[in-house]
Amino acid sequence: MMQTDTTLESALDALLMADASALDSKDMMGWLANYSEEDEASYICRAAENSENGLALGFMYDDCRSRLEDRVTFVNDIWVGTFQDYRTRHFVQRVAYQRADASTISMRSNFSLFMTPTDSGITQVLAAGQYLDTIRLEKAGALKLLSRRAELDTSVLPRYLVYPI
Amino acid sequence: MTEIGLTWPKNFNEVPKAAFTRKDIYAEEMKRIFFGQEWHPVAHESELPNPGDFKTFRLAGVPLLIARDREGVVRVFYNACSHRGNQLETAVMGNKTEFECPYHRWLFDAKGDLVGCPNHRDFLPGFDKSDYPLAQPRFDSFYGLIFVTLSAETETLTEFLGDSQNSLRELLGGDGRLKLLGYQKVRYDSNWKSYTDNDGYHAPLLHQAFKLLNWQGGKGRQFAATKHGHVCFESALSVVSGPTVLKDDSLIAFKGQDPAVGSRIVMLFPTFVSTKHLDVINLRFATPIDEETVEVHYAYFAHQDDDEDMVLHRLRQSSNLLGPCGLISMEDASIFHRIHIGNHTPGNAIFQKGVHDQSKLESEFLQNDESGNLPRWEYYRSVMGFERAEA
Repeated sequence: MMQTDTTLESALDALLMADASALDSKDMMGWLANYSEEDEASYICRAAENSENGLALGFMYDDCRSRLEDRVTFVNDIWVGTFQDYRTRHFVQRVAYQRADASTISMRSNFSLFMTPTDSGITQVLAAGQYLDTIRLEKAGALKLLSRRAELDTSVLPRYLVYPI
Repeated sequence: MTEIGLTWPKNFNEVPKAAFTRKDIYAEEMKRIFFGQEWHPVAHESELPNPGDFKTFRLAGVPLLIARDREGVVRVFYNACSHRGNQLETAVMGNKTEFECPYHRWLFDAKGDLVGCPNHRDFLPGFDKSDYPLAQPRFDSFYGLIFVTLSAETETLTEFLGDSQNSLRELLGGDGRLKLLGYQKVRYDSNWKSYTDNDGYHAPLLHQAFKLLNWQGGKGRQFAATKHGHVCFESALSVVSGPTVLKDDSLIAFKGQDPAVGSRIVMLFPTFVSTKHLDVINLRFATPIDEETVEVHYAYFAHQDDDEDMVLHRLRQSSNLLGPCGLISMEDASIFHRIHIGNHTPGNAIFQKGVHDQSKLESEFLQNDESGNLPRWEYYRSVMGFERAEA
């Protein structure tokens, strides 16, 4: 049993909130800034149904830093003006974490995500699931996501996705 | 069949928007089309590669169980106990060689035979287990793609596919020996016909990615097959040239063998869309939920002969290129929603690009023509019994 480290827990929660806040304000550069600069930094969004059946395919499969940067380009440059925009609200709760080594922590969190399309104005659940994160403790004391897997309980999405979950 | 009051426009390039939104028309479509003389793809055999693998799927509300038995034979059953009709299997996929209904513990093997039922001495005199196998719809397959029809009168699958067969075979890797990579599943706020009208069809002006990626296209062939108006697109691969805005251009790289079969789309009436683009092999199993909603299961595949690197490439490309959040298809998904909202207005949807004479139907089109949808609409009109207005 790891001793409770309130400083570390606060820092982990701050990282979770920073990601939720960036996504909910559609700040894709802010979203990217929560990830490590390492080449292997990754974000994968996948239905748990796939994972549980040994199927690796995701809704989004950004398995390197370049792809994370391309995700920003998709949203900020390529898709502009082609979709019905929607607001999101992420509700995130840390469930468990453990140190993997001196510079790495693994963390599991629950999330639920509401969306409100601007045209209909009707709020509904977009997805629920868990984040499976690997977090890098960087030299300056900052915490960054080395990898995040958004594992969706929602195997059938209620609409197309523009923003990462 | 019930007669539905809807006058069809005299011009072949016009479709009444009411056909997309009226509940009475949707109910009639269920009878005439989904329970009518059409074949519906429900799975590819590679989704259940091993003995005991199964998949469940609802086709127009009808629950199906597709199962591979111990000997490797794949069959389609209604996913309902032959006793009281209770839903038999609840998982969407898995591996079982027996299926037990929890209600009265009737037990079926993967051949559909009833192999056990407790207390059958209390049943009707003369009860015989062999009289109670799982019921089956008609099914057949083409290079592993499994089709179901809910009508006894439907033509053979070969006749149904007609001239779409070669495109479909090429799309299925040439020999149908596929390997499942996974699914993207989504519901669209769209009538099923708005979905099929706009998925597969190329609207290059919609896709800013094409411009930003220096992607040249539009030179391929599109043709209609059979009276059903299936649409096939065949084009050699158009590979991105010059610099792109992407830092990881493996997303739009082609690593396959033959660029001549780089791009294929086969749309089968009523709802099936399939595509092979770059190294993505994607079968879209779609089913109407109601007149305002369609559910699409995008299934992605590698080929069994792929090496490990190629499987990974296909996985990375498939996840991010097509589908409900893909680089070059998210906008299509948005169009499904928006065109369905727009269809709640009076008048007709009008097709222009590729139409040469609005009083005639053609069967050969250019890649980006929207007129490729028109033979399918004429078939739909005739099946639904809508009279065309006089010229």
